[in-house]
Amino acid sequence: MMKKLIIVGSGIAGLTCAVECAAQGGSVVLVSPYVSERSQSVMAAGGINAALDTKGENDSILCHIEDTMRGGAYIADRKAVEGMCTAAPEIIKWLESLGTVFTRDEKGNIDLRAFGGQTHRRTAYAGASTGKQIVTALVRKVREYECRGLISRRLGMQFHSALINDGKCYGALFYNEKEYKTEALYADAVIMAVGGQNGLFGKTTGSLLCDGYAAGKLFYQGANLKNLEFIQYHPTTIETPQKRMLISEAARGEGGRLYYLNGDKRVYFMEEKYGERGNLMSRDIVSKCIYDAPSQVFLDISFLGKEKIKHKLNEVSDICDRYAGIDVLRESIPVYPSVHFFMGGLSVDRNHRTNIKHLYAVGECASMYHGANRLGGNSLLAAIYSGKSAALSAVNEPYEDRKPNFGTYISENERKISKTLSAESKFPAIYIKQELANIMNENLGITRTGDKIKKGIENIDYFLSISDRLNFDSSISPYQCYSLEGMIMLAKAVLMCAGERKETRGAHIRDDYPESRKELECSTVISYDEGNYKISFKEEV
Amino acid sequence: MVVKIKRQKNRDSKAYWQYFEYSGDVNTTVAAVLDFLNYSDDLYDIDGNYAPRIRWECSCLQKVCGACAMVINGKPSLACNTFLDKMKGKELVLEPLSKFPVVADLITDRSIIDNNLRQVQLYIGERDENDGGLYELQYTAAKCLKCGLCLEICPNYIKGDNFFGALFANDTFLTHSLSKNRKKELKREYTKHFSSGCSKALSCESICPTGISTLSSIFSMEHSKRK
Repeated sequence: MMKKLIIVGSGIAGLTCAVECAAQGGSVVLVSPYVSERSQSVMAAGGINAALDTKGENDSILCHIEDTMRGGAYIADRKAVEGMCTAAPEIIKWLESLGTVFTRDEKGNIDLRAFGGQTHRRTAYAGASTGKQIVTALVRKVREYECRGLISRRLGMQFHSALINDGKCYGALFYNEKEYKTEALYADAVIMAVGGQNGLFGKTTGSLLCDGYAAGKLFYQGANLKNLEFIQYHPTTIETPQKRMLISEAARGEGGRLYYLNGDKRVYFMEEKYGERGNLMSRDIVSKCIYDAPSQVFLDISFLGKEKIKHKLNEVSDICDRYAGIDVLRESIPVYPSVHFFMGGLSVDRNHRTNIKHLYAVGECASMYHGANRLGGNSLLAAIYSGKSAALSAVNEPYEDRKPNFGTYISENERKISKTLSAESKFPAIYIKQELANIMNENLGITRTGDKIKKGIENIDYFLSISDRLNFDSSISPYQCYSLEGMIMLAKAVLMCAGERKETRGAHIRDDYPESRKELECSTVISYDEGNYKISFKEEV
Repeated sequence: MVVKIKRQKNRDSKAYWQYFEYSGDVNTTVAAVLDFLNYSDDLYDIDGNYAPRIRWECSCLQKVCGACAMVINGKPSLACNTFLDKMKGKELVLEPLSKFPVVADLITDRSIIDNNLRQVQLYIGERDENDGGLYELQYTAAKCLKCGLCLEICPNYIKGDNFFGALFANDTFLTHSLSKNRKKELKREYTKHFSSGCSKALSCESICPTGISTLSSIFSMEHSKRK
């Protein structure tokens, strides 16, 4: 009998997973609030890593594995990293076969650029919009399977919760924004591909749609989370009237230099400290150095010339010109680190299974390959590799026929949602979300201390204690209201993990514990059971 | 500045106009204005009446996702890419796209775009390794946001029943150029749903936030026809 899979989220991880499930003979329902063109994946500018070794630099899969492990401060699962890096060259070929338009070098090979924390040029790219180009190709492939009846897409659906009974997942409950009602979907397995936890920090470099709610809700429902304290601050973002925008690492990969001014003199602090490749150290290191710099740090790409910027960094110059009024050919870009990526997320095994049976997680919402700090170019790779790995497992796993009755659970939650919709309150849920972001930004910055983390937890506890008693302004989508509690719970879990890890490692920098501790060269796992948050450290074996 | 917004609670309710006073920075975008209004403690219109929060769609805030497409001062635009200081007049008028059904306020249901592309089976099949030197055009066409601005401004696109508009022509060009074994079917659909209905007004060209040249797509498709 054909296996039925629900995939929640239709960015690159979800799309890949859908394609692979269909290719394996599964029947897929791809569920998301919006079309894939709105997903955060389209914002991935830089590229995707694969040891193609077309530059005569003797790159190898082994080097890619070592760079990834070192970049992640040695806490990622080595076997999983080996699997991902080994599969990378084949993944590039696969993306090409789907029609991804990669940039080519003068010899006609897929061009590779240098990226941070890597010993060789290894990052394949498609102009300055690699993620978007991959999304376009994958959407087209998904469409082919839709035409063949193997994938069906459901849009306008907001995730509410998983349908879990006795530690097993049987489907998921959604809020249908177009029909203004809840809707339950059943399947043999549910695969979460919902992206990172940006919403905990308000406006970040990424999409506003990735809010972390699903991870928080599943945590409440019994799924374990891992390595939540490792939050990547991207070193180079600029202030605009709308939010901080990312200046792709490609700008430094192509030769861009970081400096600050000492009087009139430029101090190329990264090069002074780390030598020729200083601007391309891993992101955790560059961010910390910018944070520590005595004055405003600038990124200079002007000397790269008009042609190179136009062909390889067009989107960078466009963002600077459009949103910050900076002409990159004449001026340097003022940059500062900002929240960009979450190494932590749902805890999964190498097949991307969570601890809830038949519930999977892929892409940024899962924690697996990046350890304490992710290398640029490894997120697109991990999104695709994880999507494929989960599909293989989900389609081939045996499932029982028995389906428990979720009628009571569903009607109870329907009632809660209609209560939200009929509330007369004018109190905006968005107000608490902004407060939450303030607490997180204030108490969980680039550097942390035990005192600040403790204060953050106290503030979060207050909102947690009142969140279920508040009635919110019903003029917004019910999703904006019911998502609040899950997000607050997740925020508390993140802070607790950060408090528990009393060392400095990768992106987790403790002012009060500035050294790494060998005994903490392992992952943080947090679970929730009837009001108790339980943290343990687990070595990947 | 006065902000005039066309409101609609849901698909079935009646639309109405509501006016707001915007007192924030003018060196900003329409997206930031909407945030400014929505993030206030309480939202009141210009006459001091309580107003429900303004619903609009938003994801990237940097013109790469197409979520915030709407009609701004009569022109189809992305809210995140429209700057107040570059606009003429002292009034800001916001309306939902008119060629798609309204879900709430400035949010429209644009699923017809996807449905049409699926209906014509727009996919590659086997990949043609020889891209015929079209890299630049392919790259730009693949950046299409599916935002619908080109359909909103097109004099020939009504509801997407038969004429599918510029985004369809550009996606068909891209898919056609990459396909080895489906060129014939794709050309047939292109003729049926685009070239027979396009009056070459080309308003789609100047409105596209990613600068896709529909004319180049048309030229490539017509040229390939003659081969």
